[in-house]
Amino acid sequence: MSTGDEHPIPKVALVGHPNVGKTTLFNQLTGERRKVGNYAGVTVEKISATIYTPHGHQMELVDLPGTYSLTPSSPDERVTRDVLLGDLDGEESPQLVISVVDASSLERHLPLTLQLIELGLPVIVALNQVDRAEAKGLRLNPQVLTDELGVPVVACQATSGKGIVQLKQALRFPLPPASERRWKGNAAVEHAIADLTKQLESQGLERPEAHALQLLGESDYRTQAQPHLSRVAQAAALDVAADLIKQNHNPEEEISALRSQTIRRAISAAAHEMGDEGETFSDKIDRVALHPIGGWTLFAAIMFAIFWSIFRFAEVPMGWVEAGVGFIKDKVGGMLPEGDLNSLLTDGIIEGVGAVVIFLPQILLLFFLIGLLEGSGYMARATFLMDRVMARVGLSGKSFLPLLSGYACAIPGVMATRSISSNKQRLLTILVLPWQSCTARLPVYAILIPLLIPSILGQTTMMFFIYFLGTGTALLVAWLLSKRIGIGEAAPHFLLELPPYRLPDFGYVFRHVIDRGLAFLKKAGSLILGIVIILWALGTYPKAPEGESQFDHSAMGCIGNFLEPVVKPLGWDARLGTATLASFAAREVFVSQVAVSFAIEEDEDDEEAFRDQIRSAIKTSEKPDGSPAYPPLVVLSVLIFYIYALQCLPTTAVVQRETKSWKWALAQLAGMSIFAYLAAFIVYQGGTFLGF
Amino acid sequence: MAFTTELERDSALNLSQAAVGCEFQVKQLDGPGCKQLREIGFCEEMRVRKVSNGRNLVCAMCGTRLALSRELAEQVLVTAV
Ligand SMILES: Nc1nc2c(ncn2[C@@H]2O[C@H](COP(=O)(O)OP(=O)(O)O)[C@@H](O)[C@H]2O)c(=O)[nH]1
Repeated sequence: MSTGDEHPIPKVALVGHPNVGKTTLFNQLTGERRKVGNYAGVTVEKISATIYTPHGHQMELVDLPGTYSLTPSSPDERVTRDVLLGDLDGEESPQLVISVVDASSLERHLPLTLQLIELGLPVIVALNQVDRAEAKGLRLNPQVLTDELGVPVVACQATSGKGIVQLKQALRFPLPPASERRWKGNAAVEHAIADLTKQLESQGLERPEAHALQLLGESDYRTQAQPHLSRVAQAAALDVAADLIKQNHNPEEEISALRSQTIRRAISAAAHEMGDEGETFSDKIDRVALHPIGGWTLFAAIMFAIFWSIFRFAEVPMGWVEAGVGFIKDKVGGMLPEGDLNSLLTDGIIEGVGAVVIFLPQILLLFFLIGLLEGSGYMARATFLMDRVMARVGLSGKSFLPLLSGYACAIPGVMATRSISSNKQRLLTILVLPWQSCTARLPVYAILIPLLIPSILGQTTMMFFIYFLGTGTALLVAWLLSKRIGIGEAAPHFLLELPPYRLPDFGYVFRHVIDRGLAFLKKAGSLILGIVIILWALGTYPKAPEGESQFDHSAMGCIGNFLEPVVKPLGWDARLGTATLASFAAREVFVSQVAVSFAIEEDEDDEEAFRDQIRSAIKTSEKPDGSPAYPPLVVLSVLIFYIYALQCLPTTAVVQRETKSWKWALAQLAGMSIFAYLAAFIVYQGGTFLGF
Repeated sequence: MAFTTELERDSALNLSQAAVGCEFQVKQLDGPGCKQLREIGFCEEMRVRKVSNGRNLVCAMCGTRLALSRELAEQVLVTAV
């Protein structure tokens, strides 16, 4: 039910297919002043802004998630439908809808417009991308379309701002009245609609006819439990639909055929085609990009370039972050007297948070590159190619983008799975995604790998192998799980629009990257900060007497002794045990934890010297009997553990939010940890057995 | 029904069998993937051109390119134009 109908500021919603230009239009209308929030109870972003009509009236403009129809196949699309029907808690339904359509492909876009009109809301059609329609030789007459659809139609081109003024003028007060439904069915269908509408009305449901059409036009909506729709309403719809079916009518098909007819009539009146377009520029590129050999070569080259630049280009800004952290630490340390407070601020907080923020450049760069791939249209081709590989292991081509994002950070990766329409494939993608080697693992690898292999070439190869191992395991496990979950026969069919290639909209890409960056900093600023403080306290108290090892004396040391029997089969001691336990909150913590346990002070200016110190401490540590405490086999066992373990609380929290299930989130955490333990166990015990 | 004559029905083929590079008219959508196809914009009478073949094939309609699985393509009945 909607609440707050007395809200004085009218709400206007932008609705349209993905990629139709909604965001661009939104920015044109609002001058890029947008507010990003969340819809209650779901993790879908709510983007809104205040705008003023040419007469100075205030309105709230909301950009609803892109959707192909009001029949949702993903959580984003469900939000759009529920908001429009007034079924989302805390969200009143809009007073006016701007239906954004692609002028160059009206047959595909107008069905949604018709559905919007049927909701009984006032609708304005923004006929976007008229430039592309004209380039295709399509002449459109907005006036004729206005008459056909019964709602105002404004031609515009969001990228150049053409038609924006006219669109704003169409938003004037009083709002245009809602239009009538554009089609009439046969007597039986009309009777059913009227009957159901009356029943829903008497049940007190808002927008009874809109709900009735939605219920009759979509069998899933009446059969599957809907959080915002009562069982009684669904039961009424089931009865009416069953009646129709008994009379040999199929409500879904007839309603969708009626809509198609209406649209064909409107288009043939309003559009004049000027000949077939033939092969376009995009088709020419696609002849290479989708080619079985050429396509894969191009794909491999692009992936290589991405990884190369993440490791090469990000070094420079990472140096800046490092220097900045060192500088702040220096300043703060210098201002306070020596003591616990100083140590908490410098060694605890600044150090710990700094160790996380250091990855910001790599994350931003990877998201920027992914943004370019999406904005240019190539991502759809990559999805197309990868579908062959993904389908083999029970995933879909649409799992590719989330898995790729997983190399930066599992969290946005998990959120990106929302575009996967099959719930099972989405779950499967989420479950294996944290095995993609994320940037947070890099500092751990940076410490450990040089201990195993001295040569740079060998280290690079090892790094490559680690990425390969992570992804390989993810795909293998997906394949095993897909049989358990029962994907296979039931896998939905691959259907994907390949948008034309174009120059990415850099403003849009940058905004996206900045949003991601801020989200990441927020995580570093809250969760990691808290963990760092706790770890610092556990390592600092109780204080050791002068001359004795602080680690052995501290609470952390006690926990370590307790843990020792558990990690002994992996070849680890208390120190590694506590460092690993601490990094279950966030794996980045490993480095500072090891450093603290060896009482190594970080050198402000030189991160590499700091790493060298940790490495030499690890190398020279000895057991009481004089043998090395951390021989290469132990280092390898730690490495293997970090490749496989899910050590990131924020990921578990996001998985819970996205799957709406603690069961899956915790099962994933437990499953991956056990897997990591067993893998490290096998490596260590096997290695020992073989005499390493 | 979209077929007007028996002859037309006999000459219909599905999009998966259709030849690359040729233009077709959609006659009927038939099968479990119907809803999915209609949503993305397939409908009777629409013109499509097949761009490429494969496990997922590509076709052009209304100026956009769509990639769809062979199973889905088999549910789209077309006639040559
Ligand atoms: N040629 C052309 N491109 C447009 C127009 N409007 C938007 N675009 C482009 O379409 C792409 C998708 O736009 P976006 O606003 O992100 O779409 P959204 O997914 O609906 O939010 C962007 O690359 C825009 O630059 C238009 O009127 N003409």
